[in-house]
Amino acid sequence: MMSDGQPRPSAGTGQITVSGLTKQYKNVRAVDNLSFTVEPGRVTGFLGPNGAGKTTTLRMLLNLVTPSAGTATVGGSRYADLPDPLRTVGAVLEASSAHKGRTGINHLRVICAAAGLPKERADEALALVGLSPAAKRKFKGYSLGMKQRLGIAAAMLGNPQVLILDEPANGLDPEGIRWMRGFLKGLAAEGRTVLVSSHLLSEMQLLADDVVIIAAGKLIRQGPVDQVMASMTHGVRVRVRTPQADDLAAVLREQAATVDADPNGALLVSGVDAPTVGRVALAAKVELHELTTERPDLEGVFLELTAGKAEIR
Amino acid sequence: MTLVRSELLKIRTTSTWWIFGLISLALWALTLFFNWLQTEALAGGDFGEVPADQSDQLQAVSAADNLAANLYTNGQFFGLLIVLLLGIVVVTSEFFHQTVTTTFLTAPHRSAVMLAKLVAAGVLALLFWLVTTVLNLVTAPLILNSVDVGSQLGSGAIWRAIALNGLAYLLWSVLGVGLGVLIRSQIGATVTGILFYLGGAIGAVIVLSLLASRYGDWINKLQLLVPSLASGLMVGGDTDIPGNPPQWAGALVLIGYAVVAGAIGVATIRKRDIS
Ligand SMILES: Nc1ncnc2c1ncn2[C@@H]1O[C@H](COP(=O)(O)OP(=O)(O)O)[C@@H](O)[C@H]1O
Ligand SMILES: [Mg+2]
Repeated sequence: MMSDGQPRPSAGTGQITVSGLTKQYKNVRAVDNLSFTVEPGRVTGFLGPNGAGKTTTLRMLLNLVTPSAGTATVGGSRYADLPDPLRTVGAVLEASSAHKGRTGINHLRVICAAAGLPKERADEALALVGLSPAAKRKFKGYSLGMKQRLGIAAAMLGNPQVLILDEPANGLDPEGIRWMRGFLKGLAAEGRTVLVSSHLLSEMQLLADDVVIIAAGKLIRQGPVDQVMASMTHGVRVRVRTPQADDLAAVLREQAATVDADPNGALLVSGVDAPTVGRVALAAKVELHELTTERPDLEGVFLELTAGKAEIR
Repeated sequence: MTLVRSELLKIRTTSTWWIFGLISLALWALTLFFNWLQTEALAGGDFGEVPADQSDQLQAVSAADNLAANLYTNGQFFGLLIVLLLGIVVVTSEFFHQTVTTTFLTAPHRSAVMLAKLVAAGVLALLFWLVTTVLNLVTAPLILNSVDVGSQLGSGAIWRAIALNGLAYLLWSVLGVGLGVLIRSQIGATVTGILFYLGGAIGAVIVLSLLASRYGDWINKLQLLVPSLASGLMVGGDTDIPGNPPQWAGALVLIGYAVVAGAIGVATIRKRDIS
């Protein structure tokens, strides 16, 4: 594995608990009575359209923004009460950067000095994210991918039990995203808590074990990815391919199914499940070339769940 | 203590400090030149026609102590401005480069971070003062001897002026940190700082003397409340210049400003949302 051994047990369980969290800005209720939990050993996707309140929630969890109401804790403690925050929680946030004129390695050393970590940790963390060759280059010369890696290196300085990342995939190229995915999955496999926010749902489908979906500051749904998706009965369709499409469509309609043709000549059937389609076809002596159940992807689920609640704000 | 080390490392690992250092060195040389001309003129004692009420003042200014104190604190006018700006940058660069998030994640106790910044800015300011003073201790005796005044280094007043100069450097850096918190924008705070300093010195004198000519002389005493004038007063030589408030009053006013600025800075940052 890329990281350096097991996380410290100091964060207790490393569970993140958000309870009744609310942030009222002048005109916007950015986060509205939000409650959810995030478990260790899994990657949790924190999903919501832009402006849903993801960043505000994470910043409240990290004591950067003061909640109007409610609490957010890591391993049972508020962030400000953690005796050694960097050894417990590592965070990579949006709108967080390094001094343009400082080298990558010095950026990390400054943090080590403030956190009371040995300065060798800076070199180790850079190596961990594969940035050692650029250690002595100034931050302004870094590519977006390198900046993101430096952010992750900073978060890993204290070898924390809990990792929190705000839209880490933003602006990364496919190779960078693939690297990030492997890295975060590896951390979760070591037993760490990994919370990743994103509005890119396709990305989460490949990465997350659990999802927490919010819109307009409110919780929409929380749970394991497959369960959240399976709970979406709406939108499940059976795709079937046959040389006798008209015959099959006719007998299926007798079973009260809805049948549409897709542009490639296949039939899309909803209202009955795949075994039923197979049985009906056999009885009608219709030859089948393909029979598959199609679930909507997370993107579809997400759009459906947040529809109407994600007005631009 | 780890926080102070981190803050000093922040300063050392960017080019800001030596750029400021070079600028203040150049300005130091410039003021040395003018102070040298002034010293020659004053020591020559040839002022031409001077109204009676001003001759007392001139007498005091040209006293050996004051001449020497002026030279041993040479570079002060711009040096204080530089450390004010350094104090500002110590804070505003965190917002400008968006490092403040990382800083407060690393150390969630924000007042401790701000105290560390105050200490680091103060240490840097005293370093600037130290270098300037060493340079002055080399050049001032040369100039003083050339006008037959003597180095005056035996005089306690000189050493007190040098020490007070150090205090002024310290206090102005604290003012800078406070100002940086109140005005997060790097450019905004820098411009305000320069106006505050130069405008304070020049503008206030003009405004106050205009007011004084209308409402009476007592208004001139208000000069004391202008930070840059208070600091000028504080580091003045031993001989109290007639008509000016006493030295210690200047020191008190400036310390008051620094404490208020530092306290407001700490209190403000504690509650602010970092987003
Ligand atoms: N400092 C702030 N002042 C006022 N409104 C804010 C502030 N920060 C965020 N908001 C508003 O709060 C809402 C949620 O923002 P944010 O948490 O950034 O959403 P997300 O990260 O999910 O895109 C948005 O409507 C945004 O405009
Ligand atoms: Mg966001």
